[in-house]
Parts: sequence; C-alpha cells; structure tokens
Amino acid sequence: MVDVPVAAAITDVALMNASQMGMKALGAGMAVGLTGIGAGVAEMAIGSAAVGATAENKDVFGLVLLLTVIPETIVIFGLVVALLLIF
Amino acid sequence: MVAVKSVFAPYIYVCTRMRVRKSKLIPHEEYMRMLNMSLPEITRVIQETEYKQEIDELGTVFKGIDLIEVALSWNLAKEYQKIQEITPGNLKEFTRSYLRRWDIQNVLTILRGKMQGEKVGKIKEILIPAGSLDRVMLDRLLAEENPERIIEALKGNRMYPVIAREYPVAKESGSFSHMENELYKQFFSEIIAEAESGIKGGNQFLDFIRFDIDIRNIKTLFRLRADNFEEDALEMFIPGGVLTAMDFASLNAIRDPGEFIEMLKVRIRNKFLVTLLDELKGETAVRDVEVRLTRVQLDQMESLSKRNPFSIHPILVYLEKKKYEVINLRALARGKESKLPSEKIAEYLVV
Repeated sequence: MVDVPVAAAITDVALMNASQMGMKALGAGMAVGLTGIGAGVAEMAIGSAAVGATAENKDVFGLVLLLTVIPETIVIFGLVVALLLIF
Repeated sequence: MVAVKSVFAPYIYVCTRMRVRKSKLIPHEEYMRMLNMSLPEITRVIQETEYKQEIDELGTVFKGIDLIEVALSWNLAKEYQKIQEITPGNLKEFTRSYLRRWDIQNVLTILRGKMQGEKVGKIKEILIPAGSLDRVMLDRLLAEENPERIIEALKGNRMYPVIAREYPVAKESGSFSHMENELYKQFFSEIIAEAESGIKGGNQFLDFIRFDIDIRNIKTLFRLRADNFEEDALEMFIPGGVLTAMDFASLNAIRDPGEFIEMLKVRIRNKFLVTLLDELKGETAVRDVEVRLTRVQLDQMESLSKRNPFSIHPILVYLEKKKYEVINLRALARGKESKLPSEKIAEYLVV
C-alpha cells in the first residue's frame, strides 16, 4: 500500500515533467514557426524584386535565386534552436 | 508589420523592372560617340540596342531618317503600353493618368495635319499611341475627312468639351495653340484631382505633378521673356504648382533678368531649381535654359524615386527618361540629316 501523500507527490512530478515537455514542444514550435514567418516576409520582398529582375534579364536568374534563399538561414537557426530544445 | 503592409510585393516587382529598363537606356558616352557618326551608322548602333525589333520590322518599308523616326515612335508606344500592362493596382491608374498627355499630342497632331492637308501616312508616322486613345481609335480619327468630323468622332472622350469649345477659334485663327493650352490645363486639373482623391500613393504622384507644372510654367516664363510676348501671358499659365497666377503675372512683368531670377528664387524652394537659377543669371539662349530645366526635372524625379523606391516615382522616371532618349535620338538623326555640326546637335540633347 502506498501512502496518499506519496502518490500525490508522484502525480505532481509526472505532471511537472509533462508540463515541461509541453513547454519545450511549444517553444520549439514557435522557434520554427516564427522564423518561418520572418523568412517568408523577407523573401516576399527579395522574391518580387528577383522575379522582376529576371523578367527583364534572364542571365541574372542564378544570382537572384541565391539572394532569394538567403533569408532561409533564419529558419535554419530556428530549427537548430527547436532541435536543441527537444533533444 | 507596418512596413510589410505598406510595401506591396507587385510594387517591388514593377519598380525593379523599371530600374532594370532604366539601366538599359543609352548612356551619355554613347550619344557622344554617335555625334561623330553618319546616319546609317547611327541606325546600325540603334539596331544593336532595344530598338532592334522595330528597325528589323520597318527596315524593308522605310529608309534613312524615316526609318529611325518611325522605329523610335513605335518603340516608345510599345514600351509605354507594356508598362501599362505590367503595373499593378493604383500604380496602373497613375501611369494611365500620366500617359493621357499623349492623347492631347496625338489629337492635336491629327488636327494640325488635317488642317494643313498633310498625307494620312505622314501624320501616322509621328503618332504615339501611348494614351487612352489606342491605335484603332487613332486610325479612325485619321480616316475622317475633316477636323469637324474628327471632333465629332471624339464625342464621349474627356477632351471633347474643350476641343469642341475651342475649335471655332482655332479654325478662325489657324492656330491650335490656345486649344493646346486649354487641353493641358484640363489635363493637369484632372490628374491633380485624381491624385488628391485619397488613393494610396496619390501624394507621391502629386509631388511629381506639381513639379512638372512648375517646370512648365518656368519654361513658359523664359520663352515669354525671349519672345517679348505682349499678349495675355496668363493664358499660358498652368495652375496647380507652387507658382500662383499672381506670381506668374508679376514675374512676367519684370524686365531685368537678374531681378527676375531673384524673384523666381524667392518663390521656388526646390534646391535643384534654386542652384540652376543661380547658374542661369548670365544665360540668354532659351533653348539652353529649357534643356537645363529638363535636366533639373529629371534629377529631381530621380531623387524622389530614391526617396520612395516602391512608388509611382521609379515608373515615372523611366517613362520620362525613355521619352527623352527618343527625343535625343530623333534630334541626333535629324541633325545629321540636316548636316548640322556635332556641337550644335549636342546642345539639343538632354543627357
């Protein structure tokens, strides 16, 4: 037989662990989600300009493609933070 | 997020395209090189630039100066129509409003040509269908027998009331200059009303219109001074800029060149114009003054386009610079055709 206070303490610890895991998951989600939005906003402007420049001069396609994906690094930082949080 | 909302992606797209197109315009050094060439050599150089398609297409029909003239007009019209196609939202409306000035030029060219009994083909060569009147409508106008029927065909167009009102006077005097003044006054009052109607970006368009009106009024003042024009000068004044009708009349009444420039400087606050006016104190040739005023206008527009990179300004800068490129090439070709010395032709170039 387990005493009632001990059982309550075990339940509390389990709840706390679950809550911490939940917060970590939430943080990881936000790290990827918000950086994704940030990268999207940045790419919107660069992408529009890139399409405009390519429409006028097809030779710049390779260069503007490179410039357009530069904001992707923000998402990679977010992903790294998310992975560090979870594992 | 405010910044994101205010810069609409299609604006960035179209403004970038305008910048790329502007970078393809013929540079100053190329004009200087062309000054030392003959007409066929100039045609060949133009053929290697953005005018290739037009020169190739028209090369079998036209020759010499006619080929350059028609190719330049076609290219300008094509370019302006293309820009209207690619501009989005409010920018399209502003671009269309700006290009409506070509309607005035086209209709007046047709009326003047018909009055002087010019051949339809010859009039057609110099028309630039960049405004609201497209090629089909201009052909319809050209097919009409006399000016009265042309005016009737314009019924429903926003220019019709002014043209119908002014035509009897123009017919009697044999000059369309008064009608032209009235049409431009109507045009500017309409585009100011459009810019002030609360459409987003209207304030930036208004900056351009006001400066354009000021430059036109200042050019008129210098022309009036050079011609010793005694008639009602206010008839040529375009309202809407910094200069009021009173300013215009009082400036026109000043005979001393130094005093005139000083008084003009008091009324104009634009730094580019003030600097130019200081330089113009000793200048007498109206043509030089006009060319330099046009350069100042382009500089001011360039500066506005850098301050507002995703607005109507980059589009307007390109449209204006393209127009002056065509004017320059036409001046070069005509000058060479008339065997004018290079130094003389260079004076007419806006570079």
